[in-house]
Amino acid sequence: MKVSFNWLKNYLELDHSPEKLAEMLTLVGLEVESVETFGTDFNGFVVGEVIDVRDHPNADKLTLCRVNLGKDQVQIVCGADNVAAGQKVPVAVVGTKLPSGTGSKAAGMEIKKVKLRGEISEGMICSESELGIGDDHSGIMVMDSSLKAGIPLHQALGIETDTVFDIGLTPNRPDAACHIGVARDLGAVLKKQIDNPCKESTDDSISLDEKIQIEIKETDKCKRYVGKIVTDIKVDESPAWLKNRLLSIGLRPINNVVDATNYILHETGQPLHAFDYDKLEEKRIVVKSFEKEISFRTLDGIERKVAPGTLFICNGEKPVAIAGIMGGEESEVVESTQSILLESAWFEPSFIRRSSRALGLQTDSSYRFERGVDPNLANKACERAANLIAEITGGTILDGSADIYPSVITPWQLSLRIDRLNSLLGMEVDPGEAEEILNLLEIETDRSDRVIDCTIPTFRPDLTREVDLIEEVGRILDYNTIPEPESAPFFSPAPLSSWEIIHSRVRSLAAGLRFKEISTNSLISKNESELEETSGNKLQTLNPVSNEATHLRSSLLPGFLKSVAFNLNRKANTLRFFEIGHVFRSSEDGTWISGIEEHSRLLLGICGYRQKGDWRGEDQPYTIFDLKADLESFFQQLGILSQLKGSIAEPNRLEYQLNGQKVATLSKVVPELLEKFNIELPLFAAEIDLTLIHQSGLTETETGYRPPAKYPTFEYDAAYVVPTSEPAGRLLELIRKSAGKNLHRLEVFDIYEGENLGKGKKSIAFRLTFLDRNKTLNINDVEPVVQKVTKVLENEAGAKLRS
Amino acid sequence: MISKINELTEAINQADLSSEEKLEQFRLRYLARKGEIQSLFKQIGQLDENERAEAGRRMNQLKALAEEKFEQAKEELKSSSDQDISALEDISLPVEPTYAGSLHPLTRTQNEMKEIFLRLGFDVAHGPEVEDDFHNFTALNFPPDHPARDMQDTFFVRKSEKGHHDDLVLRTHTSPVQIRLMKETPPPIRSVIPGRVYRNEAVTAKSYFQFSQMEGLYVDRKVTMGELIETLVRFARLMYGSDVEYRVRPSFFPFTEPSIEMDIWWDSDRGGQWLEILGAGMVDPNVFEAVGLDPEVTTGFAFGMGVDRIAMLRYGIDDIRTLYENDIRLLNQFSD
Repeated sequence: MKVSFNWLKNYLELDHSPEKLAEMLTLVGLEVESVETFGTDFNGFVVGEVIDVRDHPNADKLTLCRVNLGKDQVQIVCGADNVAAGQKVPVAVVGTKLPSGTGSKAAGMEIKKVKLRGEISEGMICSESELGIGDDHSGIMVMDSSLKAGIPLHQALGIETDTVFDIGLTPNRPDAACHIGVARDLGAVLKKQIDNPCKESTDDSISLDEKIQIEIKETDKCKRYVGKIVTDIKVDESPAWLKNRLLSIGLRPINNVVDATNYILHETGQPLHAFDYDKLEEKRIVVKSFEKEISFRTLDGIERKVAPGTLFICNGEKPVAIAGIMGGEESEVVESTQSILLESAWFEPSFIRRSSRALGLQTDSSYRFERGVDPNLANKACERAANLIAEITGGTILDGSADIYPSVITPWQLSLRIDRLNSLLGMEVDPGEAEEILNLLEIETDRSDRVIDCTIPTFRPDLTREVDLIEEVGRILDYNTIPEPESAPFFSPAPLSSWEIIHSRVRSLAAGLRFKEISTNSLISKNESELEETSGNKLQTLNPVSNEATHLRSSLLPGFLKSVAFNLNRKANTLRFFEIGHVFRSSEDGTWISGIEEHSRLLLGICGYRQKGDWRGEDQPYTIFDLKADLESFFQQLGILSQLKGSIAEPNRLEYQLNGQKVATLSKVVPELLEKFNIELPLFAAEIDLTLIHQSGLTETETGYRPPAKYPTFEYDAAYVVPTSEPAGRLLELIRKSAGKNLHRLEVFDIYEGENLGKGKKSIAFRLTFLDRNKTLNINDVEPVVQKVTKVLENEAGAKLRS
Repeated sequence: MISKINELTEAINQADLSSEEKLEQFRLRYLARKGEIQSLFKQIGQLDENERAEAGRRMNQLKALAEEKFEQAKEELKSSSDQDISALEDISLPVEPTYAGSLHPLTRTQNEMKEIFLRLGFDVAHGPEVEDDFHNFTALNFPPDHPARDMQDTFFVRKSEKGHHDDLVLRTHTSPVQIRLMKETPPPIRSVIPGRVYRNEAVTAKSYFQFSQMEGLYVDRKVTMGELIETLVRFARLMYGSDVEYRVRPSFFPFTEPSIEMDIWWDSDRGGQWLEILGAGMVDPNVFEAVGLDPEVTTGFAFGMGVDRIAMLRYGIDDIRTLYENDIRLLNQFSD
């Protein structure tokens, strides 16, 4: 929202620099997002008098003008058709620069003494568009003939420079969506009462019924409708001061009627609309909505499809404006308009906001209505606008006004306890000062000792509770003046949650295992989502921002693959990534929210080469066992490795179970999947469910120090011939189960497949390392155990000890 | 005999022992069992008895000399052959530095912030990213028609025709965890809540549909705005340096009243400017009522800040998409 510095001075004496004022506004809660200077002082431009005009001897379209600039006379070559002797014209004298940003061809150009087709030209006679004060570029600007030649142009035009603040208005401050409102806040800071020209209205009980009848069909959406009629107007350009005001805040002047309504809107915050009274044939305004879609041409010339239920202002049954948003083209004020009906209404904020959003149309009116306009402003603003229009159009205001206001909204009462104010802010506020601040904000007060009873004006719908008043006092005092607390309380911090502990441990373990953390999208495309191997229904957003982000991820794998592909495309060849993030699917019970399973997961993934080929030798691509080693190291450091049970789920996937729950998978990602991402290097990934591991509580037990064993270990090697279909994992499990508590370590040191073993057979050689913490083991201790193991393997896995 | 000894002494002193072969020849000629020195010893019996002692002494000297020469030369040869290294044992050969683990810049920034709040006495809490309407909006004092409830602003996972109570959204801020904390734990509560949040925004250099926030909540009796500002100032000093220039200014959030934002002065090549780093305020009485706490008795403050934005400022990243591309050339610039 743009606010003009000069305009503010209408209501409040301000002798501060624009920078200081911007800071004051920001600190009072009206954040100034930018400060710009507006207009030019036309330094070097003067009013010139055209003495005579001759044809240029060498050019048909040019003329030679003798121009009196007050002190001296110069010859200026001019290309405009409308130049004539006796005119008063704006002249840029030699050495001045034309304003930039005007869109004219000569914008920003410096005027020099030049010869044009052999004739000297000392200056330039300017058009409105070259000066940047209007659109007219058809010819030079012809000025009032009574002006004296040689006077500075800015004096002749009454133009001033201005500073414009762009304020990012918070939605709770409808009162500040106008110059008076902004001035009111400044006045409170500066301890000055503002001069509010729109405070009182004249008592106007004369009826306008004969001229216009007004009916509100939906009083929940339109709580007030005020109309006033101005006749015998002459629609024309606005006076320079008015155009200037509007231009300074970025509005294009249109005509004196529309400009006046815009001016009052930005002055008071009350949106107004002027209808061409003669085009309202029925002289009956009805505020209503329709059950069907309405096609309506708004005054910006756009034919709009307006949704059923949108509120319209109608001339009888015929829509003439979309309530609170924009008027129609048909009844708009044009040059031929002679009488106008001024509308000043109050529409329900949330209703206007919905309509405006549905239409995709935000206007200065809707911006204010959807924040909440003061319902008791409508008549006052209407009167002020009518007066201004009468003044600048020469029109006559018809006595009386129409004012439909079925249930009057009145000010309400709130109490502010000084003790509560002090305890919430953490400072001692002088009760008198608090009261003064409230009064300057036009809140009437009645103070008794430690309580201030307040009457809240209807332009402050945001003030409904004591705490809102505390904010008013606090923001005007400036929060930066609250003193530092005298002593800092000595906190007794709560212990960190086990969730936080496990997550930060997991993060540092993964980084310690030489993985780099990545951060990928939680919302993925449909195609990516189909790559996930998740059971249960996947979740989607109902309103995705693009096709790339429609599904909630149920696995971290797609994000990993995407990141790998991104880097391989940029010539990386070794990638070790990890990510910790939430994954989602629908489920019966749900994690936090019923029906939604949301778990925290860790992904560990590798791709490319353990060692890239160099002088040491050939490429050594990663294998699944590289990642398996990292994964099991991770489990070991987390203290849960011995509790995990691994089993082959698919040839390319190993699943780990903890207490019967699947908590992790280790997979070799299949080539068909890699092809979708154009990944041509081997890639392996493990996903670990941190929520389930956290729930198991197993990571929380602190393991004490156990001294290293004093006695040596005893190693025993045994090779077994087993069917090829028997996975090593099962044999390891059988051995562990049957080898007793002294089995300290179990390795596979050789695997052999050969014809001499027979078809469908393989040999796996195990090294069993035994340790007894109380004595030195010898062969006699170990042999019976190995025999037992052999028997179990024979029975359960069809194994044969290979001698 | 003596002359022979002198001759050999001379020869040994002059011997060229600059290579393994010459050394071996030397050994064979003088020190071997059939070498010249040994043969001299064998001839000692042929001498007169009075000469024997002298000759024996001289021969032993000669032998010692030869041995010393031999050992010395051997030593020299060995150390010179040590410098003569094989091509594959050339320690100056280049290798690629070991691939190192690292933390994402967002995590680093978040950890830095977390550390500061841990020092200020806060603990760390977490919550879900799919939230229900109550926690994300209603309990946080968002009116039923608030723009944030629109499809244009918020991702919905479930939207009910019968009012918003059954709606599920991707949380638009970490503030719903405030509600969960206050419902679960009696005051005092002093927690920060880091996490991922979502807004229905297109992916551009300046906006992304997901980002990270860190929320803070302190709920107790007699908590003041002065304490809120003091906490934020302490954070700013630890995060941005003890000489950081800051200001607080009024703002608006549905779930705090009064509400403020904090700016810090940020110097850059284009000149300094105030940069907003966080929003904060005193917990709104309506929020306390929604979780069953009496606002007359309980007061508190809350604050929230964008981790992405702070990380971008800190590391000079000007395109938010960079944070989610995971370009290893970026990740390599961060260790843990």
